Amino acid sequence: MALFIEQLVNGLTVGAVYSLVALGYTMVYGVMRMINFAHGDFFMIGSYLGFTLVSSALLGGAIPLWAALIVVVVLSMAGVALLGVIVERAAYRPLRRSSRLTAVVSAIGVSIFLQNAVMLIWGPRYRAYPPWSVPSITWQVGGIYINFMQVLILAVSFGLMVALYLFVQRTTVGAAIRATAIDHDTARLMGIDVDQIIRLIFLIGPALGAAAGVLLGLYYRQIHFTVGWTYGLKAFTAAIMGGIGNIPGAMVGGLLLGILEMLGAGYISSAWKDVFVFLILILLLMFRPTGLLGERIAEKV
Amino acid sequence: MRGCRSCLALVSFALILVLGLGTTVLGAGETAPIKIGLQAPVTGQWAYEGEMARNCVQIVAGEINGKGGVLGGRKIEIVVGDDQCSPKQSALVAQRMISEKVVAVIGTYGSSVTEPAATIYERQGILNIAYGATAVQLTEHGWKYFFRTCFRDDRQGAFFAQFVNETLKVGNVAILHDNTTFGKGLAEAARASLEKANKAKIVFYDVVTPGERDFTPILTRMHRANPDVLYFTGYYPEAGLIIRQMRDLGSQAIFVGGNAAINDEFVEIAGKDVAKGALMTQEPMPTDLKYPESKAFLDEYILRHNAPPSSPWPVYAADALKTIAAAIDATGSTDSKVLADYIRDKMEGLPGITGPIGFDEVGDRAGAIYLAYEVTADGKFQPYEP
Repeated sequence: MALFIEQLVNGLTVGAVYSLVALGYTMVYGVMRMINFAHGDFFMIGSYLGFTLVSSALLGGAIPLWAALIVVVVLSMAGVALLGVIVERAAYRPLRRSSRLTAVVSAIGVSIFLQNAVMLIWGPRYRAYPPWSVPSITWQVGGIYINFMQVLILAVSFGLMVALYLFVQRTTVGAAIRATAIDHDTARLMGIDVDQIIRLIFLIGPALGAAAGVLLGLYYRQIHFTVGWTYGLKAFTAAIMGGIGNIPGAMVGGLLLGILEMLGAGYISSAWKDVFVFLILILLLMFRPTGLLGERIAEKV
Repeated sequence: MRGCRSCLALVSFALILVLGLGTTVLGAGETAPIKIGLQAPVTGQWAYEGEMARNCVQIVAGEINGKGGVLGGRKIEIVVGDDQCSPKQSALVAQRMISEKVVAVIGTYGSSVTEPAATIYERQGILNIAYGATAVQLTEHGWKYFFRTCFRDDRQGAFFAQFVNETLKVGNVAILHDNTTFGKGLAEAARASLEKANKAKIVFYDVVTPGERDFTPILTRMHRANPDVLYFTGYYPEAGLIIRQMRDLGSQAIFVGGNAAINDEFVEIAGKDVAKGALMTQEPMPTDLKYPESKAFLDEYILRHNAPPSSPWPVYAADALKTIAAAIDATGSTDSKVLADYIRDKMEGLPGITGPIGFDEVGDRAGAIYLAYEVTADGKFQPYEP
């Protein structure tokens, strides 16, 4: 039983990160009906920015560790959010009226561009977050091992997700986002600046991705310029699982994917884990083609 | 700089060619030098490996010639062929070696580079001894003329079993591999050797996916099996993560990596505090060889080149030349078939720089001479002392 709970905690930790990244896919899809294949790379750049900030003098001890960590996460989020807006302006907005395939090709182009840029700036080797960036504490609670980073990841991701949910559901801007997701033209008639909303989406999505990137960098410590692809694919799967375009769906999908993966690896075989995960995805899509929470999107009537 | 070097190589090669032609014109009398080929990556990405191999072979050749050569007075002449560590170039070098009429060939570095050349040497019946080609399948072709002075990948597994039973003296072993040909082969060899020795018990055996970053589920299961030692046979990016994640899970099992994990980046990824005390099995670095021949050889090498060879492989090239020279002297022949038969069937315990040299029936070096390295507190690797 303790083993099961431990695997569950492992799964939740990774799943929370998948959720954060999946939110970026799902929000862009919800508002623009486009899969932003460069999103995984925003995540990757987040972890590289975090790496540079953590390695810089910032954490030299001038401010307490927790404050420094907050600064690192916030700065990385801001940097990547800015990049997201630039990418949207340069690569997606000019193609807003062209076919969806064109936009997807442009997204793949952005992805290749970002990966190679990172390779040229930070080098092709594996980079590692310095060991002193987070305290290496492991607690044993009732036979279960849980470490500081797992707690931090869970706390930060759930915090961000709840904040996002409240923002979208309870604020006027959130209502505008939801309206834009339903119909661009009608939203415009209601006085909503659709371009502004899309820009906002490209601020929030990449920022969440960057937070996930920094957290994962701190957790595994090892980063590489190709990780965006791996995690992007996983998060994309999570978004589909939960029902793409649906914000709570992405959260649930990510957590579910993480847990399935860990249970698959823990109880079946690590080598067969992905087979197991994708088998479940196929079955799920066969019986619920819109994903777990996908139907709620049909607010259009 | 680079152009200059290849220029030099070209000139020296031309010289060798001219010299070689000269001797043939004069007629291969009883005093003519014996030509032995060295196929190595003297230029290209692995140039430093090729360079060191050439240095090593030159030292041994000089030593033999200084003592009057082989076969009662015939000098050894080394013909260098640069394969640039490319399989395509390797085949061309092999063909040139044959047209040069070398008695035997030493080489080369890299299993995939060795394969095409060895195929050609086999067809032409030329004795060839590889020095940096450890892939298992090379000796599974039933080749008659192929040998290697380096040890086959899976011998490391045998060494690990011995190390666990005799040095670490622990009871429960966990083995993890990464499903690559190399990692799986080594893990299976380790398992087979442990089962044969029947001392330490394998309590956990599983696979991780390379490129993956979260190994906690599998390590959680491993931790429950309560092993005293974990042998991970994959590469350093995963090795660094595995050791850290198992420590985070509370596992204090001794971490042992294979020779694909021994790399400075392992320490960087794991962090010095965690990497400290981790062990690695690998071919001994030349400076860590303890044989009398090794000492004399290294002194000469340092004298000539100011620093010892920086990788384990080049000294195996030196031992390949020793093997060939010993076989020529023992048989009194320069016929590849006679030499190959002698090396396979009769050679045993020839004192080499890397330890006693002998071969089994398929051409693999007999025995398993490896060392366990330990990560020190400042993140360096040094031979493990219990």
